Amino acid sequence: MHDDVQAPSAPPTHPRHLAADDVGIVQPRDYTHPGPFKFQSGQTIQGFTLRYETYGALNATRDNAVLVCHALSGDHHCAGWHSDADTKPGWWNNLIGPGKAVDTRRFFVVCANVPGGCQGSTGPSSLDPATGQPYGTRFPFVTIRDMVRAQKLLLDHLGIAELHAVLGGSMGGMTALLFAIEYPLFTRRQIIMASTANESAQAIAFNEVGRQAIMQDPAWNNGDYPREGGPRVGLAIARMMAHITYLSDAGMDRKFGRRKRETAGGEAYTFDAQFEVESYLRHQGQSFINRFDANSYLYITRAIDQFDPARASGSLEQAFAPVQAESLVVGFTSDWLFPPDQNRAIALALLRAGKRASYAELSTDLGHDSFLLESADLYALVRGFLERSEAYVFDFAI
Amino acid sequence: MSKLVEKRTVDMQVIGEWVEPQSRVLDLGCGRGELMAYLVQAKQVLATGVDLDFGRICACVSRGLSAYQGDMTEFMRAFPDRHFDRIICSRTAQELNDPAAVILEALRVGSTVTVGFVNHGFWKNRIDMLLRGRKVRNAVYTTAWHDSRPANPLSIADFEDFCRERSIRVARRAHLLGDWRTPCRVLPNLFAGYALYDLARA
Repeated sequence: MHDDVQAPSAPPTHPRHLAADDVGIVQPRDYTHPGPFKFQSGQTIQGFTLRYETYGALNATRDNAVLVCHALSGDHHCAGWHSDADTKPGWWNNLIGPGKAVDTRRFFVVCANVPGGCQGSTGPSSLDPATGQPYGTRFPFVTIRDMVRAQKLLLDHLGIAELHAVLGGSMGGMTALLFAIEYPLFTRRQIIMASTANESAQAIAFNEVGRQAIMQDPAWNNGDYPREGGPRVGLAIARMMAHITYLSDAGMDRKFGRRKRETAGGEAYTFDAQFEVESYLRHQGQSFINRFDANSYLYITRAIDQFDPARASGSLEQAFAPVQAESLVVGFTSDWLFPPDQNRAIALALLRAGKRASYAELSTDLGHDSFLLESADLYALVRGFLERSEAYVFDFAI
Repeated sequence: MSKLVEKRTVDMQVIGEWVEPQSRVLDLGCGRGELMAYLVQAKQVLATGVDLDFGRICACVSRGLSAYQGDMTEFMRAFPDRHFDRIICSRTAQELNDPAAVILEALRVGSTVTVGFVNHGFWKNRIDMLLRGRKVRNAVYTTAWHDSRPANPLSIADFEDFCRERSIRVARRAHLLGDWRTPCRVLPNLFAGYALYDLARA
């Protein structure tokens, strides 16, 4: 997911958070799990914190919750604004809000940052109570399953009886998929967007280049670096490269083409940023290092690479055997990181396993990030899936 | 209720009579899911549909049905033999690309294959073509050639020949007169307006 390239120079005249279909000002909260938590790797930490946000209200039967799962660099702030001065809303604000596709008048929406992250949840940049120092690479290895188990503890804490739905794009789709496998009676619906049941060699390769950029930066220092320091160059390069994989050739051409920066002089023989796409990527890299921890980047990309429920169960159909949820899988034509075929494979395996599953595909040129698209078609699909009547009565008279 | 919509419901009723309760059904070219919705309600089937169009898939999803956006032959290739109890190809046969490949693949993946189609050999179509010398236009063929999708119309005789040549067993057939309601007993290729077949591997 990308950071907007320009911040508005002046505050908007009409605060957008006052729009009728906006959740408005929201407050992040922290859930602290008091007991020990054992990771899939076998390593244990003494308690953890998850930062999360909720929008809407839990109903009396406690079954209208919708869990939103974020992608690699995402966080718990998926809708609304943190203050009047905020220049940017949550990352899925176009989808979530009163009257929107995920309607907060109807659903209690929960979004939590994952363990291993760096946005308030316990991760490698948190202090190890045993040493008083940041965990660094002494933090346990994290898997998608660990993220799911930790988030389930939060949902139990919130008193949620069952999930009306779990949804997510990219890594969030993996998280959603595993929720339906691990907690079949708890998860009634799932929406998987721009995701995969196991990454291709190409996707692992890109993650590895990102990790190498970080680990080859001398400031990484085997994961031990001060909070405001660390491998900033390596992390920025990792982000710049990864960001290209979130876009598409056609989308970049439409957005930047070969346009030169207005500020660039006539000088052609220089390595300063000349093309708009160069300054855009540099901005992406720079804004990322101010909000993301390099060790978290290593941990979470590793978790994504290792996600492979088919390998764990023998086949994808066997992995899906416990699923009770109805599933909707959405692919995007220009996504070459987790391409449509990998999304189709999820839907087909669910169907082969005898589950109720649908697959829909949107034609876009925005690449992997298309799931964040402002699209009436996508909204109609998500709303239709979430809000459809339970028992459809056929009107024979039409 | 328009005449065409009325005919559509007749088509559904015949297929509904043939479908086993609680069976696993695949609808090729499922459209907005009218047939699937009916079969789910009337026969409690586990239905899945395939269609190429996003809007139609979205309509199916909104009414609580499973639907897959994509090519029907590629979809079927992803399933083992006899995964579905019944595969339905209703009013789609004349628009298929390589109909033989679709029907043969359906016979692999489904225990029974139901094909329903408008009989292009129906006498009114023959007279229309003979007298007017132009693309057949009536309540069924509503559009002029230049407003039509590519179509490959077939007659009952064409379909019977195909089944014989490919050694496909016809387990059941229904030929309906021009009202798409009354059974047609004689010379179906001339007098039937609509035909439904249940096919199985020989």
